Amino acid sequence: MLSTLFLATACAGIARPEGWAGPTLADDRLVASIERGEMAAVDIEDSSGRVLWRFPLKDQRHPDGSKIDPEAIYSTPVVADGAVYFGAYDGWLYALDLTSGDIRWQIETGGPIIGSAVVQDGVVYAGSDDGRLYALDAARGQERWRFKSDDSIWATPLVADGVVYVASMDKKVYALDAASGEEKWHFKAKSGLASTPVLAEGTLLVGGLDSRIRALDATSGEERWDEPFKADSWFWTRPLVLGDTVYAGSLDGKVYALDVNDGSPKWEQDTGAPVRAAPVLLDDVLLIVNRKGKLYGLDPQNGQLVWPLPIELAKTVLSDPLAQGAMAYISAQGGDLFTVSKDGRAKLMILTD
Amino acid sequence: MFLWDLVFVNPIANALVILSNVFLGNFGVAIIVFTILMRLLTMPLTLRQIRSSRSLSALQPKMQELQKKYKDPKRRQEETMKLYREAGVNPLGCLLPMLVQFPIWIALYRALRIIVGGTPESVIGLSQRLYPWGYIEQAVPLENNFLWMDLGQPDTSLILAFIVFASTYVQQRLATPTTTDPRTQSTNQMMLWMMPLMFAFFTLQVPSGLGVYWAMSNIVGVAMYYFTHGPERINWRTVLMPPSSAPAGRQASRREGPSPKEKEAAEEAAEEPVEANQPTGGKRKKKRLRHGRSRGKRKDR
Repeated sequence: MLSTLFLATACAGIARPEGWAGPTLADDRLVASIERGEMAAVDIEDSSGRVLWRFPLKDQRHPDGSKIDPEAIYSTPVVADGAVYFGAYDGWLYALDLTSGDIRWQIETGGPIIGSAVVQDGVVYAGSDDGRLYALDAARGQERWRFKSDDSIWATPLVADGVVYVASMDKKVYALDAASGEEKWHFKAKSGLASTPVLAEGTLLVGGLDSRIRALDATSGEERWDEPFKADSWFWTRPLVLGDTVYAGSLDGKVYALDVNDGSPKWEQDTGAPVRAAPVLLDDVLLIVNRKGKLYGLDPQNGQLVWPLPIELAKTVLSDPLAQGAMAYISAQGGDLFTVSKDGRAKLMILTD
Repeated sequence: MFLWDLVFVNPIANALVILSNVFLGNFGVAIIVFTILMRLLTMPLTLRQIRSSRSLSALQPKMQELQKKYKDPKRRQEETMKLYREAGVNPLGCLLPMLVQFPIWIALYRALRIIVGGTPESVIGLSQRLYPWGYIEQAVPLENNFLWMDLGQPDTSLILAFIVFASTYVQQRLATPTTTDPRTQSTNQMMLWMMPLMFAFFTLQVPSGLGVYWAMSNIVGVAMYYFTHGPERINWRTVLMPPSSAPAGRQASRREGPSPKEKEAAEEAAEEPVEANQPTGGKRKKKRLRHGRSRGKRKDR
């Protein structure tokens, strides 16, 4: 009996990273992780769903000769100047050719890469689990500078007006000079920060694992609201700002609409499962996706359901949807890609090699 | 599953996170302290298990007699149960305390998987387990590294597996009572090696945080034994030496039936766990007296 019980528990093994990279649109192709640890470009022009290339190929190797195995991809790919940039759980940051999928360059960091990269003015910025934020030349991958925080960086950095804002698990938000990497200021929260910050007219909004969302002065790092807004669980999503309202989903399953000026709640809507995917707007419909793959179409004004019933994808969804006008692309865990229209219709994309 | 998580897994996960916060974010220390606390909490059950195990082995010679005397399995079963009743022994007595501890083990395993899973998905899973208390939220994210190990990953260096193996072996050796029955003796001997090997194998498969728990649990178990039985009752040389198979051979040659003197000696040996190979005066006398008293009571009934 003892051995049976222990075999049952031991066979469960250790947790395996799955990845939650969202899709990216570039001209006529969708770049997305369509299988665990694999990036691909899909032709969407003729709606055939033809896979144009896959990465990695069997014979692709790192400069040291070891086989490339991204293991899992959490980083949503970014397309700039004909290249696709993304980090992987194996700790490597990759730059691929958008047309062919060939490797342009690859750089190893000291830990898994969870957040997405950002490309601005020919520089790629990416955080790593090793606690560093890397600034690399987008064309060649040469390092320009690196900044060391005291814990893992899982959040995607934000670059605006020559400043890089990045949240770290060391409980701090840093503002760094984009050219040199020098620290301008930092703000310390009560818990780790994994949420990507957003900027709204000089106000930096960032959610944290202390279940709070804060508004900071982008130039000084001082808090702007009397007190941060507190939910029942962590904020891990990138908030969405529309006018004077900020929308943020929480792992408590609710989506909150707050006044950007003072953080006062305008409305909230319960989706029944943790929300990690960022809220996006399909024309005038606010799309919220929870972990169980339930899609809610809400009126951004009052949070009322626009679609009478949520759409069920019956898949785990933790990735950020990609909004394109009245349509969104959603990448579910396991690699399934869905399209969702603003009138509440979801469709699984059939991919062909 | 919801109730199971609510009653066992979530409280354990939160307790571990709180302890980690108390010990400056060192999750390895939190596991060690948690193990000590759990062992202290389940100490009455452990002691009861030891007592039941001893009582059962004390009955071994009589049970052997019954086996020889009654060939009909039904009758033999009846007589065995009668013997248990008369001796005031519950055959489930040593199983029950272990069963009670099982949910804790399994819940701890689940909690550790959730807490030190290491993957971003497991961190999101953790958010659903933690109580919304500021003190707990401050502890996130948890530090997975402890000594040479990543507590969320199996320790492939074999060091932890060896510690688990050695500590399980020593604890087993201390807790296994000697028996005159060759079959039981052979089973005990097999278990003495099988259990440590099994646990060492599991240590290589599961997050090392769980291996730390097993190793620590064994070490605390040995320490408890040391303090409850006294240092003079433990012969470390005997404990650390592999058991000899000679006694089993001797026992096998006694199938015709032991002499009354041998029987008495066997009964005495059966009452003592393995460490008592070189017994000393005082405590042993007290122990005999305890047995004597309980027999007296049973007679009164």
